[in-house]
Amino acid sequence: MAYTRRDAATLTRAEKRRFVKALLEVKRRGEYDEFVRMHIEYFSSDGEQGLRAAHMAPSFLPWHRRFLLELERALRRVDSSVTVPYWDWTRDRTTTSAPWTADLLGGNGRRFDHQVMTGPFAYREGHWAIKVNVTDKVFLTRDLGHPRDPIALPTKSELEWALKDPVYDVAPWDSTVTRGFRNKVEGWGTGPGDTPWHNHNRVHGWVGGAMLGAASVNDPVFWLHHAFIDLQWYRWQRRHRGVRYLPAAPPRPGDAQHGRIVARHQSLPPWGVTPDELEDVSRIYRYA
Amino acid sequence: MVVSIGGGPEGEEAPGSAQPAPAGSTRRDVTRRLPVCALAAVLAAPVAAVIRPRRPGSGNVPDATVFAETYHGRRIRAVCTPRRGPGEQDRWHVTVDDRPLHLMRRADGTWLSMVDHYCSYRSPIEAARAAVDELGPGEGLRVLDPGPAGAGHMHAGDRHGVHA
Repeated sequence: MAYTRRDAATLTRAEKRRFVKALLEVKRRGEYDEFVRMHIEYFSSDGEQGLRAAHMAPSFLPWHRRFLLELERALRRVDSSVTVPYWDWTRDRTTTSAPWTADLLGGNGRRFDHQVMTGPFAYREGHWAIKVNVTDKVFLTRDLGHPRDPIALPTKSELEWALKDPVYDVAPWDSTVTRGFRNKVEGWGTGPGDTPWHNHNRVHGWVGGAMLGAASVNDPVFWLHHAFIDLQWYRWQRRHRGVRYLPAAPPRPGDAQHGRIVARHQSLPPWGVTPDELEDVSRIYRYA
Repeated sequence: MVVSIGGGPEGEEAPGSAQPAPAGSTRRDVTRRLPVCALAAVLAAPVAAVIRPRRPGSGNVPDATVFAETYHGRRIRAVCTPRRGPGEQDRWHVTVDDRPLHLMRRADGTWLSMVDHYCSYRSPIEAARAAVDELGPGEGLRVLDPGPAGAGHMHAGDRHGVHA
């Protein structure tokens, strides 16, 4: 039977406590750091060689859907009542609203070094030392809103701009496309010059600190953010009935994107599932 | 030639300390400080506009170009090895305080770093400066060990490396 992912702002005190406790246990077991490592490994950029599975590619959405499912399975092995909540950043937009409360993810980093000092993931609590990182920092950092050079959270209308696009993705299937739901929600602007961030990317920038880097998974808000992105894919599918993941077939030999992206029926590393198999997950979970 | 850009004494770089030095390169590099007006132009321009070959006309051996500056107290150094053939791209090796900064290139020619991974910049130097902006007091870059799955992400394969 399908379980339910809930809005973080609506969780009961007990639900928050169990979610946090399960996360800390997954961390204690050493499983969490493998998620951090995996995300770093699969973040390939489109100006280089090789397959892009997680970012700058059509499989951005199914890759992260499966990634979330893996974390959720790890959490549910600890406590079968737990699901990943989502952070609706179109509604909860301040540095003190959900999910930045002491009983869930804790608050903003302090000004001096952006170290998170409140909540269960503060380093001084002793349960959340960062082990896989791109710098030598061992504590969780946040810089909500990036006051030095302010960034606003994406608005409802920016999200709507993505949702109303009736095409899933378009060639060349990378970070330069200006049409298609996938990149409008992933949020790569076109450059060089100004490269404005949208939706998914902009939220990483707004949270800042750990969330800005390749090791963004170190901040548990990563999962709440991506659950909300995942919910947008579901909403987009509901709005554009019958519209499918693209490309349906792999780019042909000779196409610059040949071997660089995952088509609908191709295997998505590292799990070996296809985007086709991840388009409908209503038998596994639903959103409330 | 080493082009050194920096406003303070700490901007001076030891000549010829670029790593990795390509085969056949000399270590008799000359540090040249740009006048202030040129400095402003350099800061505003993509790096391609300021780099110079170290040994012009050296035949088939690629010459590295070194770019160095001190930015907010951090020493940024970039070595660019020009592409050897039409199928290749220039290769960059960028360090901040002598620690490698992993960079990736986007299809539009912009660059992002491991520290600032969801936004991209016009040049490796701008990406490095953005990374420095995000480093906290005393915080340094770290090179990750390869994961159990042989991730090796930080160690520059063709797939993930600083090679662009």
